[in-house]
Amino acid sequence: MANIITTKKLCKTFSNGGVQQHVLRNIDLEIREGDFTVIMGASGAGKSTLLYALSGMDKPSLGEILFDGEEITKMTTDQLALFRRKNCGFVFQQTYLVDSMSIMDNVLSAGLLVNNDKKEVVAKAKKVLTSVDINEELWNKFPSQVSGGEAQRAGIARALVNTPRMVFADEPTGALNSKTGKDVLDALTKFNENGQSIVMVTHDITSARRGSRILYVKDGEIAGELNLGKYVSGDRERHMMLRDFLGGMGW
Amino acid sequence: MNKILLLTGAHWRKNKGTSIGLVLLMILASMMICISLLLFTDAYPTASRESDRLNSGDGCCRLTGDIDAIDDAFINDVFGNDSDDVYYYRTLYNMGSVPFGTGSLIISCQFGGADMWERPIGRTEIVTEDTSITSDYIYLPYQFYTSGGFNTGDTFDFEYHGTKLSLKVRGFLTTGYFGCNNSGVFEFVVDDDTLSRLRDLSGADATAVVVIYDLKDGVRPGKFMIKASNRIAEVNSSVVVDGYSLRDDAIMNRTFMSLIIAVSIMVVTVVILTVILLMLTNSITNYTRENMKTLGALKAIGYTSSDIKRSILALFVILSVIGSALGVAAAYSLIPLFARFAVGQMGIPYTPSFSIISVCCAVFAVLFFTVIVTLISIRKIRNIEPIVALRDGIESHNFRKNHFRLDKGSRGLNRSLALKTMMFNKKQNIITFFVTGLVIFLCVVSLLMYENFDRDPKLEVLTWDICGGMLTTDDETADEIMSFLSDRSDAANERSFRTAGIYYKDEDSLNAYVYEDLSKINNQHVCYKGRMPQYDNEIAIGGRFAKAYGYKVGEEIEMNCGGKSFSYLITGLLQITNNGGNIVFMTGEASEHIISWDGVPVQIAFDCADSAASDVIIEALQSEFGDSLYSTTNFYEAIEGSLVTFRSLSKLMLIMVCSISAAVILLVLFLLIKALIYNKRRDYGIYKALGYTSRDLILQTAISFMPSIILASIVFSVVSYFAANPYMNIAMGSFGIIEADFDIPVVGVVIIGCCTVVLSFLFAVFEARKIRKIEAYDMLVGE
Repeated sequence: MANIITTKKLCKTFSNGGVQQHVLRNIDLEIREGDFTVIMGASGAGKSTLLYALSGMDKPSLGEILFDGEEITKMTTDQLALFRRKNCGFVFQQTYLVDSMSIMDNVLSAGLLVNNDKKEVVAKAKKVLTSVDINEELWNKFPSQVSGGEAQRAGIARALVNTPRMVFADEPTGALNSKTGKDVLDALTKFNENGQSIVMVTHDITSARRGSRILYVKDGEIAGELNLGKYVSGDRERHMMLRDFLGGMGW
Repeated sequence: MNKILLLTGAHWRKNKGTSIGLVLLMILASMMICISLLLFTDAYPTASRESDRLNSGDGCCRLTGDIDAIDDAFINDVFGNDSDDVYYYRTLYNMGSVPFGTGSLIISCQFGGADMWERPIGRTEIVTEDTSITSDYIYLPYQFYTSGGFNTGDTFDFEYHGTKLSLKVRGFLTTGYFGCNNSGVFEFVVDDDTLSRLRDLSGADATAVVVIYDLKDGVRPGKFMIKASNRIAEVNSSVVVDGYSLRDDAIMNRTFMSLIIAVSIMVVTVVILTVILLMLTNSITNYTRENMKTLGALKAIGYTSSDIKRSILALFVILSVIGSALGVAAAYSLIPLFARFAVGQMGIPYTPSFSIISVCCAVFAVLFFTVIVTLISIRKIRNIEPIVALRDGIESHNFRKNHFRLDKGSRGLNRSLALKTMMFNKKQNIITFFVTGLVIFLCVVSLLMYENFDRDPKLEVLTWDICGGMLTTDDETADEIMSFLSDRSDAANERSFRTAGIYYKDEDSLNAYVYEDLSKINNQHVCYKGRMPQYDNEIAIGGRFAKAYGYKVGEEIEMNCGGKSFSYLITGLLQITNNGGNIVFMTGEASEHIISWDGVPVQIAFDCADSAASDVIIEALQSEFGDSLYSTTNFYEAIEGSLVTFRSLSKLMLIMVCSISAAVILLVLFLLIKALIYNKRRDYGIYKALGYTSRDLILQTAISFMPSIILASIVFSVVSYFAANPYMNIAMGSFGIIEADFDIPVVGVVIIGCCTVVLSFLFAVFEARKIRKIEAYDMLVGE
């Protein structure tokens, strides 16, 4: 599979009261198309910072990020916005649906950004919402009127409505119980099986098991990598491999 | 107390932008209140104060006609019994035209010498003078300096009994009765040589006697004047009386324009205050909402609701004290500008004095309202649970209607999202709608004033007749002049008329305009109801007067003058600003029932093509009838002079209203957009994460305010177009205008509407640029 994202000497430094904090240190990384890449690490290791840098949401302090061969680190804020709308989908821990819009409108607000054909986008939105088990009766409800799991799945639908080159998921199950968390992971897995590239940050081993490739971030560096291959439900050996890998990383 | 101030300081630091916006609104509010109050309590009473200072008594009257017989015994007989003090003097009186501003004024003129400075009551004093000018000089009423464009050393050219005179302005004078064009009389003081020359031209040492009297306690000036007038008619029917009471005539006429200015500014103030109060309410409510999380945190760590309330109240009290103090300072720096128009046209020197009442009222009004609004807005704090506040007051269920669904309709995405934002911001948009509407109404009213008083003056409202030229002559020559004019091809519609003071019962005095043929008056609009009188038993009366005494067309009214009375049939109602609307029209035949015209000059008006034609005709008249002409007036020039104050006022109003309107719209949008961006910052972060550019979001935000602004512009432009005239009629009703139909240029209204929309949009875009600072990443990690 071809690389979709490549980073070269990626660094991110925060300055707080004159104190420099190096969150990412010289990261050289390649993300492959079609992979379900999982980024793991302890709290404060820099995994979310890495995710947002890869997605063009945050700018690195140094280094390069090439997305499909195009360097995004030199883009302006508005160019990055156009880049994101065309190439990226986002799933956040807190769902971040717009409260004042219905579930359907939340999905369409992303879809209509890329495609002006309203009929086509509405049809796509309905299809994606149905595929994440959000039924028609919920489409015109507001985020505050649906459960956390339903809202998160609506967030996935919003991320996928434009069929982005890459979906970035930041702890998508972090705020959910195990049942609804599983539903969300199932949805992501299903889309990955259909060829959708995903980069997901998690510190949950159950969620991480869904990934085809595990990257472990420690002190701002990629400390280790594990290739698990395609997810198969109930694959015990896969679970053991992951557990051993994480154990080796000091998890 | 320390902890409260600590919290207050924290509130200030966290809300500097909103606080500064509120302070600006408070400055505007207190400034407008203070200016209005200063105009009413300090500037407007200047005329009264000055009259008292000059010991002006209670009234005065000018006696013309057979004045040779007037002596101490005559004065004592007529005025002695009811007066504590009486003073009379002889003067040269002439109805004439004098230069004023860019034109001239047709006005009664009294000329006297140095003895004018010696009067014990009704004093005339020098305001300023240039003593280096020692001959051929004149002292002009101070209004010639404030509104007439004259300075000491200037040349004052005028015409006296057909002879042109040119004098140096030595100084300016102040006087209680004869210093303002609205009073209808000017008093001039000239050097002895000039006075002799004027006497020679008049053919007499004096042509009028002026009596100034101070009445005994309990004697009403109006009634006394009627009594004195009747007594004079009994003693010597050849003496013609023109009376003025100090309060009801001299001061009222003098302050007529000031009152219009003060009322206009007060109306603007009320509208602006309404807007500001709306904004204060909205801003303080928003303040509480924006700080919900902080309030929750404070409660969580043990601050009581009362502590928090007191700290917020303290902040707004401090802001309102600072704002209103700055507003008062701004008012005092601007009051000379307003006083220039309000007091300048009175012809009185004025220096603003420190009015503790105005200052306290301005500060107290702003403080009081701020405290009330703050107390109402912060009362919810008591019910806020810390945990709810920490969640920004978000409730778990919200069953709002999903307006402007994205899957329906054919609107573009940005427009749909803008409309959604508009619905999210419903309350603020309603405020914007009304603020914009009020501002447009004010602008349209000021446009009306500019259009009708300056750009294309509506003369039929400002004067009872419109002509090309006018002259005053004696009874004997009038017919010859009429015949002379009718033979000329460049003059038309010549008509003669006279004026006299008559009385309604013993209640009120009126000015009678007596024409041989009232159908010749060009300004037939002056009779707004019924018709002009045609027969000897008919009269048309001022609409304001009719309203005051409950008369209608078709009823009879008894008028009297010089001891005679007659019952007239009211055929029409008039609207004229002269004499506060106390005006009657009648024919010459009708006047003879009560008025004796012996020795009263005749005035003749004629029409002509333009100002140049008027000059040619007047020149011809002067060469033909020079000695018999008391005065001649080029109406085109005269009206320019009369319009000076109106022009200045309407320009001032237009500039002031447009500037304040723009400032109000900018401030309102500043506060609303600031609050909107704060409230929707999370949504903006989400949109940015999804790929919306700052430009998309800025436009969405700006566009979200446009429907209410556009709607208000359309609705209120139409409403203002139709409501401005009724509003002006109400506002000017007390000055005699009842049913004026002022022109309102549609193009001007459209320009006001369009400028409001464009200005609002540009500023909304400018203000919404703050969205650029919202970073999706910061919002996401910050949450």
